[in-house]
Amino acid sequence: MDDATWLLRERTRRHFFGGCGIGVGAMALGGLLAADRAVAAPPDPLAVRPPHFPPRAKRVIYLFMAGGPSQLDLFDYKPELAKRDGQPIPARFIEGKRFAFMDSSHRVDLLASKRSFARHGESGAWVGDLLPHIGGVADRLCFVKTCATDLFNHAPAKLFMNTGTGQFGRPSMGAWVTYGLGSECADLPGFVVLQSGPRGPRGGAVLWGSGSLPSAYQGVPLRNTGDPILNLSPPAGITPVSQRRVIDAVSRLNRHRLEATGDAEIAARIAGYEMAFRMQSSAPELMDIAGESAETLALYGIREPGEATYARNCLLARRLVERGARFVQLYHTNWDHHGGPTENLETHLPQVCGEIDRASAALVLDLERRGLLDETIVVWGGEFGRTPMGEKRESTGRNHHIDAFTMWFAGGGFRPGLTHGETDEFGFGAVDRPTHVRDIHATLLHQLGLDHERLSVRFQGLDEKLTGVKPARVVTEILA
Amino acid sequence: MRWHASFPLALVLGAVATAAEPQFNRDVLPVLAAKCLACHGFDAHAREAGLRLDTAEGATALLESGRRAVVPGDVAASELVRRIASTDADEVMPPPDSGKELSAAERDVLRGWIAAGGRYERHWAFVPPVAVEPPEAGPGGRPASHPIDRFIAARLAEGELTPSPEAPPEILLRRVHLDLTGLPPSIADLERYLDAHAADPEAAYRDAVERLLASPHYGERLARWWLDQARYADSNGYSIDAPRDMWKWRDWVIDAFNRDLPFDRFTIEQLAGDLLPDAAMPQRVATGFHRNTQINQEGGIDREQFRIESVFDRVATTGVVWLGLSIGCAQCHDHKFDPVSQRDYYRLFAFLNNQDEPTMKVPPAGEDVAALEAERSAALAAVHAHVKSRASELQAWEATLDAGTRGMLPKPAQAALDIEEAKRSAEHRRTLFAAGIGVGDTAFETLERRWRDLDARWTAMPTTLVLEERREPRRTTILVKGDFTRPADEVSPGTPEVLHALATTAPTPTRLDLAHWLVDSANPLTARVLVNRVWQRLFGMGLVETENDFGLMGSPPSHPELLDWLAVEWMRRGWSVKDLHRLLVTSRTYRQSSVGTSAAAAADPSNRLLARQRRLRLEAEIVRDVTLAASGLLVPTIGGPSVFPPIPDGATALGQMRRPWQTSTGPDRYRRGLYTFVFRATPPPALAVFDAPEGFTTCTRRNRSNTPLQALTLLNDTAFVEMAEALAAVIRTDGVVAAFRRCTARHPDDDEVGVLSGLEPIEAARVLLNLDETVTRE
Repeated sequence: MDDATWLLRERTRRHFFGGCGIGVGAMALGGLLAADRAVAAPPDPLAVRPPHFPPRAKRVIYLFMAGGPSQLDLFDYKPELAKRDGQPIPARFIEGKRFAFMDSSHRVDLLASKRSFARHGESGAWVGDLLPHIGGVADRLCFVKTCATDLFNHAPAKLFMNTGTGQFGRPSMGAWVTYGLGSECADLPGFVVLQSGPRGPRGGAVLWGSGSLPSAYQGVPLRNTGDPILNLSPPAGITPVSQRRVIDAVSRLNRHRLEATGDAEIAARIAGYEMAFRMQSSAPELMDIAGESAETLALYGIREPGEATYARNCLLARRLVERGARFVQLYHTNWDHHGGPTENLETHLPQVCGEIDRASAALVLDLERRGLLDETIVVWGGEFGRTPMGEKRESTGRNHHIDAFTMWFAGGGFRPGLTHGETDEFGFGAVDRPTHVRDIHATLLHQLGLDHERLSVRFQGLDEKLTGVKPARVVTEILA
Repeated sequence: MRWHASFPLALVLGAVATAAEPQFNRDVLPVLAAKCLACHGFDAHAREAGLRLDTAEGATALLESGRRAVVPGDVAASELVRRIASTDADEVMPPPDSGKELSAAERDVLRGWIAAGGRYERHWAFVPPVAVEPPEAGPGGRPASHPIDRFIAARLAEGELTPSPEAPPEILLRRVHLDLTGLPPSIADLERYLDAHAADPEAAYRDAVERLLASPHYGERLARWWLDQARYADSNGYSIDAPRDMWKWRDWVIDAFNRDLPFDRFTIEQLAGDLLPDAAMPQRVATGFHRNTQINQEGGIDREQFRIESVFDRVATTGVVWLGLSIGCAQCHDHKFDPVSQRDYYRLFAFLNNQDEPTMKVPPAGEDVAALEAERSAALAAVHAHVKSRASELQAWEATLDAGTRGMLPKPAQAALDIEEAKRSAEHRRTLFAAGIGVGDTAFETLERRWRDLDARWTAMPTTLVLEERREPRRTTILVKGDFTRPADEVSPGTPEVLHALATTAPTPTRLDLAHWLVDSANPLTARVLVNRVWQRLFGMGLVETENDFGLMGSPPSHPELLDWLAVEWMRRGWSVKDLHRLLVTSRTYRQSSVGTSAAAAADPSNRLLARQRRLRLEAEIVRDVTLAASGLLVPTIGGPSVFPPIPDGATALGQMRRPWQTSTGPDRYRRGLYTFVFRATPPPALAVFDAPEGFTTCTRRNRSNTPLQALTLLNDTAFVEMAEALAAVIRTDGVVAAFRRCTARHPDDDEVGVLSGLEPIEAARVLLNLDETVTRE
């Protein structure tokens, strides 16, 4: 921003010492604000930037099912699994393959799904009985059955899904998108993260980190208790009037220094304090869902508006995109159903499905009826899927699996009612239209008007990109 | 807005570049590297149409088409010129689907270069630096005596620019305080300096610099710079992110900078301290540098996979930190741009693949670990022997026990009784003995007490993670596409062929040889890379802007002769880091004002020529340090375990494991930022928000972002509120002027005093801690 720094400094100087012909001492500081606005191209990192080409969508709501949902019990209906329950999967599937827990609970025997499946809607998409509401909106969804990723441990795989690499220190998808497009929201963060479930996602803040990009592009967690945004409220004993007085004085003195130095960073800081002040009212307003109609609350399945649930987070996601947020990511734990005492496919999977089913469908419907779905991409999926084979543990479960798993997309120009890709008789791997995470990344960016080859940043000798160095393609077949 | 948006320097500085004929390294290579070499470069697997443009032979070779890309001196015959100018989408280079495009200026550079003979030069960074005599000062400039100023002035003069005047004394004092110690000058420091400055400005500044270089806080300031590069943090990372003890290594770094351990020795001890013939405890602690990698403790993982991940990180970090090369790129394939083959990569990997990764006890000074361990074992053996000597009495006692009396014994003793007599260990017997006939046995009690004391001393001894060479070396192979399940050809340890030769006396070169090779005076890179990184710290931007990439894709130096002079001079002076800082901060270039002239602004908007200093927002930890110091709360203790200052509730609950954060209540509440405990998965928000790295990967340059969340932190975060209260007390006793000076070093003007005086003390204090100037080095 040195260019702007100098331009600003020069203009400010000229304004005060040249054009006006009076010293700054004689000038009311209040006059400076107008001068700033007139001359400074504020170096706001979140200013709206034009995409590479006309976009189909403007924003993303990413429903991240942390832990690895079992596609074989939810979407990928495989009667053959039931027929061969308990028999080993043919060796050709697993020769040379590596899995998590290879030295302990991993097994090669196929595990039948206990769920029943039915076709839904006019599109006839298969959805299991644990997700009746998602089944109910199947005609609005685009299912991809053949998603594939590279890494089969949770933290690396989550990182891969979010940043396109298992290496730490790279920007997350939300950071890339806000970097590429800026934010349309003047008084809330552009990239927001919401959490529900028994604990945080494995990996933590790095999943929504900005990596080599400035921290301005980091996801901002909206907190379920206390201040919705960290340090949002004035300290105890400080009245709103006093807080305003402090911010005004900070701005006045900062303007004073701006005029002495011409450093545009000071203009950015002044703007930052103004936004911080606005957030103090806009964030609580966002979180207050009491004004939503009873019908809307019922649609999402929200019984207690103050309760920090996935359902409330879905509603908050809608409220965020209404207010111009660019990228909203919801994490819901825990989908890691290995068959341990607390990770039983037969009891715990139904429970977690019950937590997300109604609200996920409601979000799609609510966006649609408000005319927001068209320009909002809704993504549903985990960091990987689960094996057709069962594990040897205390209860029923499946291991991590990366060759084929299901994600769905809605809105934002994804083709509704489509089921894309097909897996083999056991749901182990793709037999048609494999879709790698890199392709998903390229496609999401494409819908937002961003060319995944051009959205890059120079870092440690590389043009770093979300899609990395390996080939990635926009999956045009799944686009309307 | 950031360095990555850079253009070839010659284009940026078009107004001041003098030579009309494009020079290969300065002008041509950046274009080739950015736009052509991905498909026509060093990596044979990725090479298209059999054409390589990274060598003269390749560029002028006869292609299958019967043409030559470059015909020296003959633009019309050069296929390259035709293809870059083509309007046919099937012919034009780079191809449209590559997302790359040549600007008109870039096409001119390539055309002009071929017209002038198309000469190749060896990449500048691979040619050892040669010191040239600093130039005479430029016309009109005051005769510059400092060598750095002579280089800078000569270049400014070419652009008809002049340096800025020296910064006001209080601003300069604050600048050099912050840069050398990370702490602002106190009012007493300021008064003393201003008095001395009035008498003799040069002597005053010189004395201030010497005082700061001798301050123990200098080591803290430099350590944080090095901790970034070493990807230091206090937890294991990945999903579990358990806490670890690495602070002994961190303290070693502080101490090394404070005693000015020469950088070559600093390097050798960290990379191979354990292999030194005279290796003592500090040298072994130093090897923690490469133990700052993450450790994956997730269930169901393949440990070997993540051990190899950590070795990958060590190779990449070594490459970036010392060589300024993205060697890590050759993990999966030959490097696309730099002459580093995949084989070169795995030969470097072989040096770092042969270590165990133990946790080492670090005794306090004067304590001998081996002796203590021997004493502790002997003491326990003595207890056991005593118990054995009364074995029959113990049995007799046991025989007297009934269910009731058994139930009254301590739990461990009951557990021991449950074990069949013959199968009891010496420890079981000791436990029983202590609960039974040992009571009142003074000989036993004396022995037992002695053992407990020794054991307590042993247990309390801090630990740190170190490297330890394995006796039986691991076999290292090339890994196909970097996949550890796909070993290919075996390789032996070695260094990249493009660089200087490796010296060794062993049959197989060792990690110690690698360390010596890095700081060999024949190494064209290390001294340049580190000098540049110190320069970047003090001036906000390196002479080589891409401080982590001196390869073909990196930007060429703005002042190549100065960079080389500094590198050679630094090595000649014995790699003293203090000396290097002294040299840089005593230059007029460093001391000049960061508010420059309009002429310079127009001619050199990004200030590459340094007609002024730069205003730099302080690093996260220094934001904390400055505000702590200004408010008078700072506890300046150096070193020790990492501490837990107040952070917002729930800040460590965002990951899989909710990590406990026992907020320090004593002096540790007010320690410097570099001592704050950092969990990688849930880093302290007040540090993260100001761009502190989390220690996932080496960080050679921090971002300096400027966000509303920073405002919320400085306004409302508990820690800053506490500082504001302390500063309010200062205002009540000493007034707003004193408080203003504590924050910014300068005297406020009447307007500023007017604004602050109109506020309650707590408000004025909060205003001061939130000023841009307070968190900025001017």
